[in-house]
Amino acid sequence: MAKRLLDFSDRTAIAGVGYTPFTKNSGVSTLTLACRAVLAALEDAGLTADDVDGLATHRVGDSAPPTLVAPALGLTDLAWHLDQFGGGSVSHAVVGQAALAVAAGVAEAVVCYRAINARSEFRMGGTGRGVPLSPEVQYQAPYGYVAPPQQYAMYARAHMLKYGTKAEHFGQLAVTQRANAAKNPRALMRTPITLDDYLASRWIAEPFRLLDCCLETDGACAVVVTTAERARSLRRPPVLISAAAWGGGTSHLSSVAAAADPTVTAAAALAPRLYAQAGLGPGDIDVAEIYDCFTYSVIVQLEDYGFCAKGEGGPYVASGATSLDGPLPVNTHGGFLSEGYVHGVNHVAEAVSQLRGDAGDRQVPGAEVALSTAQPGYILPATSALILRRS
Amino acid sequence: MTYRPEPDRDSQEWWERIATREFAVQRCDMCGTTRFPARAFCPACRTEAWHWQEVEPEGRVESWIVNHQPFMPGAREPYVVVMVRLAAVPGCLVYGNWHGERPPEPGERVRASYNRIDETLTLVNWTPAGG
Ligand SMILES: [Zn+2]
Repeated sequence: MAKRLLDFSDRTAIAGVGYTPFTKNSGVSTLTLACRAVLAALEDAGLTADDVDGLATHRVGDSAPPTLVAPALGLTDLAWHLDQFGGGSVSHAVVGQAALAVAAGVAEAVVCYRAINARSEFRMGGTGRGVPLSPEVQYQAPYGYVAPPQQYAMYARAHMLKYGTKAEHFGQLAVTQRANAAKNPRALMRTPITLDDYLASRWIAEPFRLLDCCLETDGACAVVVTTAERARSLRRPPVLISAAAWGGGTSHLSSVAAAADPTVTAAAALAPRLYAQAGLGPGDIDVAEIYDCFTYSVIVQLEDYGFCAKGEGGPYVASGATSLDGPLPVNTHGGFLSEGYVHGVNHVAEAVSQLRGDAGDRQVPGAEVALSTAQPGYILPATSALILRRS
Repeated sequence: MTYRPEPDRDSQEWWERIATREFAVQRCDMCGTTRFPARAFCPACRTEAWHWQEVEPEGRVESWIVNHQPFMPGAREPYVVVMVRLAAVPGCLVYGNWHGERPPEPGERVRASYNRIDETLTLVNWTPAGG
């Protein structure tokens, strides 16, 4: 591998996290949500808006960009900003690029945020917004095939057919994450569910039931990225960004010839780079916040990030391995399935909380290294992920 | 039919051929690689020269979903969308509605079933190859 001019592993840190409440109808604009989450994250870090010289977000034409948030908070001269087009697959790339900017000295304190009215204004499920602007849509939308639950259900069935993955595996994942959410005061869905509840929930797009699908949430979440050195002088225990990687692979939605195996995601290509950057492997991960737009999304990533063999994701979850007291607690906050859907940033924030040791009843004892991942690339042909560790 | 596809400058001719029930893919003039959907460049050798090649509109069922809500306005649920691996372009997955009396079966051979909407638009659904 070529020598890197800038090795940014462990040179930056997340110094604070902030949330708005998660609701079904925020009653305010995404700009307002963004400002609230940014200020909350700065408060958590012990910084003020005057300390901020960078802002970054990802969005799909549904939220306030840095160029709106900056003037709204009276920031007149951002040294760096990023308005990343894209859905969940780029969520962690935004934090990674902020880390790069900080490590390079372009900015000193960047707040990465995602503000979304995904229930009351722009629903991802195909209502309340137009058909996505992509040349692929012409080959799919005429057949009523356009929404993420349909796309993930399609790949989930391919996985079921190839590897024998079962509805009960998806169900066990939903049950486990709900049990975590029951211990998370921030979570929207805290009433425990059983496997029977899962199996009895209504069909959305077979093989997916309602409880395979993430919530649609109004809310915002933000994290503050600064130098590791500066983070050590701030209020909270710093959480180092040991690795940040993005890219990795092809699109399955785009029906080009490269889409050979729909049961493998972009994460399979990205994971080796990610682990190498941190000098760690899957066995070193104490807690994993894995992008769970749907139950299957977690199962396929457990395989592609190397926690179990290809095809074994379902049985791995059913074994209890991903529960809070298992060897790899996954989505300790309840995830998108039960905490709320903030398009990836709430996964990063939960990983930070676990590594700081302030996750309350759902704390994984002694967690030192966390993996947090983005939408694994089924929809946009790339993914992104972070490895974070306690300083 | 609820959503009318919007052909782009790469795909216009593909749709025109489908409207005459000709199922064509692109074949690279340089290396012979077939590809779909329509793109200017061959992803294998990165050259631009290509020609349309009519192929058998056949493939195998790789997956399917049964939709229980109308994901597009006007769709009438339940309806089935199949993912088909094209025989002519083995790495390529295409989507369409299922045209059959029974559900699809894993790996079964299917053929295109053309659904003529009007003079300029025909959609491609999939039906068991035997029947
Ligand atoms: Zn070629």
